[in-house]
Amino acid sequence: MENEKKSPLREFAPQLEQTSFAGYAWIVFLLAVIGFGIYAFFQQVFKGHEVTGMRDNVVWGVYIVNFIFFMGISYAGALISGTLHLFKTTWRKPVIRMAEFITVISLLIGPCFILLCIGRLDKLYYLVIFGRIQSPITWDVIAISTDIFGCFIFLYLALLRDLATLRDDDFLRLPSWRKRIYKALALGYTGAPEQQQRLNRATDIMAAMVISIAIIVYSVLAWIFSVTLQPGWHSTIFGPYFVIAAVYSGSAVLIITMWVFRKVYHLEDYITKKHFVAVGVIMLVLAAFFGYFTFSDYLTKWYGSEKNDELLIQLLFKEFYWPFIISNYIGVLLPLIVVGIPKFRTVTNITLTSIVVVIALWLNRYIIVVPTLESPYLPIQDARPEWVNYTATWVEWSLNAAGVAVFCLLFTLASKFVPIVPVTGLMEEAKKEDVLV
Amino acid sequence: MKKYNSFLTILVLFIAMMQPHNLKAEENLDSANIYTETKLTLGYFCGPQDSVYLTATLLIKREENTLALEDAQVEFIVIGETSNKVIGTVNTNQEGIAKFTFSITGLPTNKDGMISYMAKFAETLKYPATEVSFSAKPASLKLFFSVEDSVKTLRVTATQKNAKREVIPISKETVMIYVPRLFSLLKIGEISLDETGTGTLEFPKEIVGDTLGNLIVMARIEEHDVYGFVEGKNTINWGVPKQYYKAEVPSRELWTPIAPMWMIITLIVMLLGVWAHYFYAVYELIMIKRLSKKNINLF
Amino acid sequence: MEEQSNLNKKNSRRQFLKKGLLAGAGIAAGGGLVSAYVDTNATESGKKVKVLTTGGEIMEVDRGLLKLPRVSREESHKGLPGRKFVMVIDLGKCKNARKCVEACQKGHHLPKSQEFLKVYLLQDSEKTSPYWFPKPCFHCDNPLCVSVCPVGATYKRSDGIVLIDNERCIGCKFCMTGCPYSTRVFAWKHYHEFDEDKEPYSPEASSPGKEGTVSKCDFCPDLIRVGKVPYCVSACPMGVIYFGDVDEDTVTNGTETYQFSQLIRDRAGYRYLETLGTRPCVYYLPPVDRQFPVDRGFPDLTEEVKSRYKDTPYSRKNKP
Repeated sequence: MENEKKSPLREFAPQLEQTSFAGYAWIVFLLAVIGFGIYAFFQQVFKGHEVTGMRDNVVWGVYIVNFIFFMGISYAGALISGTLHLFKTTWRKPVIRMAEFITVISLLIGPCFILLCIGRLDKLYYLVIFGRIQSPITWDVIAISTDIFGCFIFLYLALLRDLATLRDDDFLRLPSWRKRIYKALALGYTGAPEQQQRLNRATDIMAAMVISIAIIVYSVLAWIFSVTLQPGWHSTIFGPYFVIAAVYSGSAVLIITMWVFRKVYHLEDYITKKHFVAVGVIMLVLAAFFGYFTFSDYLTKWYGSEKNDELLIQLLFKEFYWPFIISNYIGVLLPLIVVGIPKFRTVTNITLTSIVVVIALWLNRYIIVVPTLESPYLPIQDARPEWVNYTATWVEWSLNAAGVAVFCLLFTLASKFVPIVPVTGLMEEAKKEDVLV
Repeated sequence: MKKYNSFLTILVLFIAMMQPHNLKAEENLDSANIYTETKLTLGYFCGPQDSVYLTATLLIKREENTLALEDAQVEFIVIGETSNKVIGTVNTNQEGIAKFTFSITGLPTNKDGMISYMAKFAETLKYPATEVSFSAKPASLKLFFSVEDSVKTLRVTATQKNAKREVIPISKETVMIYVPRLFSLLKIGEISLDETGTGTLEFPKEIVGDTLGNLIVMARIEEHDVYGFVEGKNTINWGVPKQYYKAEVPSRELWTPIAPMWMIITLIVMLLGVWAHYFYAVYELIMIKRLSKKNINLF
Repeated sequence: MEEQSNLNKKNSRRQFLKKGLLAGAGIAAGGGLVSAYVDTNATESGKKVKVLTTGGEIMEVDRGLLKLPRVSREESHKGLPGRKFVMVIDLGKCKNARKCVEACQKGHHLPKSQEFLKVYLLQDSEKTSPYWFPKPCFHCDNPLCVSVCPVGATYKRSDGIVLIDNERCIGCKFCMTGCPYSTRVFAWKHYHEFDEDKEPYSPEASSPGKEGTVSKCDFCPDLIRVGKVPYCVSACPMGVIYFGDVDEDTVTNGTETYQFSQLIRDRAGYRYLETLGTRPCVYYLPPVDRQFPVDRGFPDLTEEVKSRYKDTPYSRKNKP
């Protein structure tokens, strides 16, 4: 590192300047998946919600699962980046931008999934003009929109230095329109002491805001379920449980993102095993908390064995056996083993564990939403199998895939627009190291 | 898809055509050659002060379909010894019912004091004529209330008019006592009349009246061979005053249109707190922009 | 055959109709009785329904319904002044004849897949006796469905009725998860039955239905307005369902009229799942002194309906 002495921005130049054939192929593939999702969406609009697997008993399906999931990873990004920023964690710089991108991008996708679940999209604005403050959905509308603004401001504050660097760098071969955008967005930031002071102050405040709003928003999301009287949902632990599960899933998504960008943009110098282990340890702690909350929730339900709780637990161990095992056993124990035992702590192992954790947490949301709706107080007596048991249809799966594709696409485009690692921060650090050496 | 749609349209039109079951009396000429049967039923009801209420229901039967005939003219007639007297003409409503109220004073009776009524539908272009008749003896029920030793008693007297128009008691009959309610009559007792046409009932407690406790009490002789339906009414404030519904306490009142105060305050405080910080951050950004301009101006 | 045996029963609806017609308009307070002759009491057989005439012969009557006045959406938010409606369901008399369901479906122009009223076959525990359980909307006094609605599309009126304004409803289905009694149904597509209704929409009629919105049992306020009891009440051949104004302390099933407080006291009336604190306006009389054994509810069912009860504890044990 010392002998090469080149600006980190140089290293990110290829990523910003051009897109490889594989890169274009990847984008086209994502667009195709999204296009198919749009086709599925129109099917749903024109043929009615009958094309989904949802029916009168299971009124919420994978759309809501995805909503919780994307909102979850979004809050995780906010919480992780905010906390790392406030505690001035030294190793945070290379990963913090990814966490911020995860936050904003998934925050844009999450609410779209709840829209898919709404029967009358043409009347959506009623939520604003006729909103009732008593309804947790109104809380959610207010909280999510507040959160989106907050996260955008926080991301912008974090990007400002890099935008200024990009504006000032003359060696990058970029089209002039992009230069103009950088110039406009950089707000004339030159790194003057007072500017720095103001920027730091704003960033600190927004980091604190983003953390607290993330907790509020995810609790509100949990309350949509727990304010109802449904067995399995009507639980006081749901607020903190959802927050922990959210951060947990977000830490796993962050690790996967780190691995992908490290591979694709060859960032082995910046994102090292140290970072994987550090985020991995955060994931481990969250896994323990998540396991504890899960255990606490199901233990109280199972021990008392109220009639409907018992039915629900029977259902979980019968028809939802594998999802239950994966989400609540493997999803908890695997990170504890892989990250907990130093011998297993390799980049690949941690990444693979993260993939399992992401799947486990998606399934966790599924077995929170669906089995409860399949075991209401009055037994479901129906001759139509689809009315009794929920199975997602191709429409729902396509839109599910489209959601993931939008996430990947926006991430790809964002990484083309600004360096995926905050270069200014790294340059400063390099300078500091020089001084020290 | 298109085929299916047009089929659906036809189906809908078909259903729509099948819908109106009340035929206007002078419509549907094309169905004139189909054999149609008409049918009248007569309801009789004798109220206070010699008033009688008749209802005639007119139905037509055509090819297994029975339909109510709307806007058809029904004549109400009293049959006399020598001649019949038309006392009224009423058009049927959408349910095929013609209703007519009149006083029986001066109407001809037979030797037993019975009056014969007839409802008649005259032949039209499409529908054959039909008629129905019913005989009943005018009668009257009166209700009296009294309180003795804090026992509330309802006394009912029943009278009839014989052929000479003399009022004589109705004896040994059963009278039902009702309180009219929103949808139906609530039975509160039965009275057996003695030889003098009188009977009593200890008035039940806990009958809800209006907000002042007023009750309409109704006495009835029902489905009688001679008297038909006879009714008498009176009002008394023996009811329990009606208590209007109030939400049980403690009410969470979350379902009411306005949210609880604490919720509104919490929301406003939280939103103000958060957005104040947002605005502060945006303010700092604006200041950063200003500083850059200053710098440019300086150099 | 069924019709014949019904005829001989005391208090049978047929007898009642005969009386009602003879009495004519004598039923001043019960304006609904005459019309019951035309529009309810219906066994669906194609487009025609069978009713009994005053002469005792069975006639077929077109199944078209009488036009009921439809109030505006604003008007439907106000309850009927000075009323508070209540329903009492006598579980001892229900034999799953399903006339209530049919009349309700017809009255609200509902497709087969949407039932406002469902009849469950319940058995509370292994050794307790099974019984038929008709379940309308409970019109709770603490309605969670109304609390959670984000746009005020569902509301509780001063007369206790909980209604849905389908023109306001955005179809988020939160109320469906909020209701612990699985009462609400969703229009998963545009059903052609909705088109049967040519009248303008009114929340009081819950018709014509709208795709992508939630609807449910509405206690038929459009019928109440003209002094008639809800479709299910007048349709039931057994007189299982009683309806009335609880402030007036009276309920009626069309033939019999009782003092509500006395009925609840003498027959140990209760509300379903009282522990949930929803304070329902529907009371049940326990299934005692059965008029029919439970298996009498099976023979006349279509295969589709029969198979609904296949997975109940009773059916697993008895294989009807």
